[in-house]
Amino acid sequence: MFLKRYIPIGIVAFFGSLTLFGWFIDNESVEAFVNDDATQWYDIIASFAIFLGALNLLKLQFLKVVKRQSGWQYSVVAIASFFFAFTIGFFMKGAFFVGEEVYFTQGAAEQAILASGSSETVKAVEWGAHISTEGGLFKWMFDNIFTPLSATMFALLAFYVASASYRAFRARNFEATLLLLAGIIIMLGRVPVGSLITPWMVMYLLVFVGTIFMANYFKDRKIIFGSFVVGLLGVTAIGIGMDWNPTERAIFFLPSLQEWIYTVPNLAGARAIMIGIGLGIIVTSLRYIFGLEKSYIGDQ
Amino acid sequence: MRFLEDMILKLGSVDRRYIFLLIGLAVLIPLLRPIDLPIRTTPTTEKVYKAIAEIPANSKVLMSFDYGPSTKPEIHPMTLGVMRQLLREDHQIYITCLWPDGLYMALDALEEINEEFELVEYEDYVLLGFRPGNEAIVKGLASDLRKVYTVDYRQTMLEDIPMMDGINNLKDFQFIFTGSAGYPGTFEWVQYGGDPTGVPLSSGTTSIQVNEVMPYVQSGQIKGVLAGMPGAAEYEKLIGTPGIAIQGMAAQSFAHLVIVLFIVLGNLAYFITERRERKY
Repeated sequence: MFLKRYIPIGIVAFFGSLTLFGWFIDNESVEAFVNDDATQWYDIIASFAIFLGALNLLKLQFLKVVKRQSGWQYSVVAIASFFFAFTIGFFMKGAFFVGEEVYFTQGAAEQAILASGSSETVKAVEWGAHISTEGGLFKWMFDNIFTPLSATMFALLAFYVASASYRAFRARNFEATLLLLAGIIIMLGRVPVGSLITPWMVMYLLVFVGTIFMANYFKDRKIIFGSFVVGLLGVTAIGIGMDWNPTERAIFFLPSLQEWIYTVPNLAGARAIMIGIGLGIIVTSLRYIFGLEKSYIGDQ
Repeated sequence: MRFLEDMILKLGSVDRRYIFLLIGLAVLIPLLRPIDLPIRTTPTTEKVYKAIAEIPANSKVLMSFDYGPSTKPEIHPMTLGVMRQLLREDHQIYITCLWPDGLYMALDALEEINEEFELVEYEDYVLLGFRPGNEAIVKGLASDLRKVYTVDYRQTMLEDIPMMDGINNLKDFQFIFTGSAGYPGTFEWVQYGGDPTGVPLSSGTTSIQVNEVMPYVQSGQIKGVLAGMPGAAEYEKLIGTPGIAIQGMAAQSFAHLVIVLFIVLGNLAYFITERRERKY
């Protein structure tokens, strides 16, 4: 109990307080601890956390294979890929130079010397540098396996975003309509094609969308059609009156609208979220320091 | 009218495979047959360009490659553009990576830039490489760089690199730029790098991150931001070197248009269905 509960809580409370008060105490040793030693400790622990994460990944994938859970075949691929990357990262240099040429194995490099009959010798790269040597096995794996797979996964998002927004982006109520309009303005305003759409077009579209929205509340077709025509004429009159130019950055110029959304309502929301997160971090940190938060030792 | 509504309803319930196909074509065709679209620079991009242009000549600039292959199409053109602008003014570049794959992105960028500038390692640039530790690395760099890095990515001791003379922490740099795709990245550089040391900082981020980064830009804690691929295209225009970002803008434009078109169709179909259901 003492070892498992009070000592960890004591360590967290002590170092938490030390790191916090280190910002306010004008003492060289404390400052050195906060600025240098504590961050070094963190780096060391972070390095070990990578091993812990790798072990956890292996455990989960092995269990999936042993229990033949759904998709266990993918776990076999994951385990094989893990050991492949692990082996060529830790146990194989994978980059042996013969002059300018690079070979994956020492044997291949020696054979190349024998075949060419040259007097050159095989030079292996340094451990550590072997993972970034152009032509080496690890770099080959990164360029030819990891990069295409990673890029493919991310590129697939474009297709899913298109499909999902087509199904889920519905003007069901006022808030959803606002979100929909803001989304469309951002999507078009951010890309060059947005600046090709004139303010006129944007206003006509807004009238069109407004009419669709009205159709939800008014059943009389004459009222809906009348509102649509009045809207169109009104926009035309305002546009002529305000001398809208298709190529100028006017108020209804799509990129300008997009920029306004980005810098005004979006920024206000983002700030509110950031302040909220900041306050949450302060409270959580204090809970750790005072020993109220004990989830890290398994308490609820 | 009924026929038109039925047509919209059919289009509004189209199989998602057709959407995938159209998105694929909207991206592929402009990439294969490039179309010139006008690139309009935005104030946030102009701020980055101006901030870098104002660095005194022959300065030392730290660049952090905090992204991987998945976000390479968005961030890589930015880092290439920034490197070009820096090297034209004979600045020295020091490269760090908070992401493990950032090292490979940096190597790739250097290889591409080398064709243009004939760079000399340890004279024009030093690639320090990756260190695990996220924000602790940034904090460590702000305090004592040599405790975080003792060797560069080639395992060469920092004492043996003449370019590292006089470089002990972030305050020894005149500017910081981070190409960031998430955590760790821009926020960590602002909170533990730029703000505590007062060294001017700029960032290039993915489009999705821009919302969160904007408060820092408006407060001046970040000198502008390159926002996604459009930001990279704008930057390419500003430095006068069109690249892959400008080429990609047509593809992105058409893909966005297709998505918007389907959203509109989906909504029209929704309203028609709602109205018909109310009638019966």
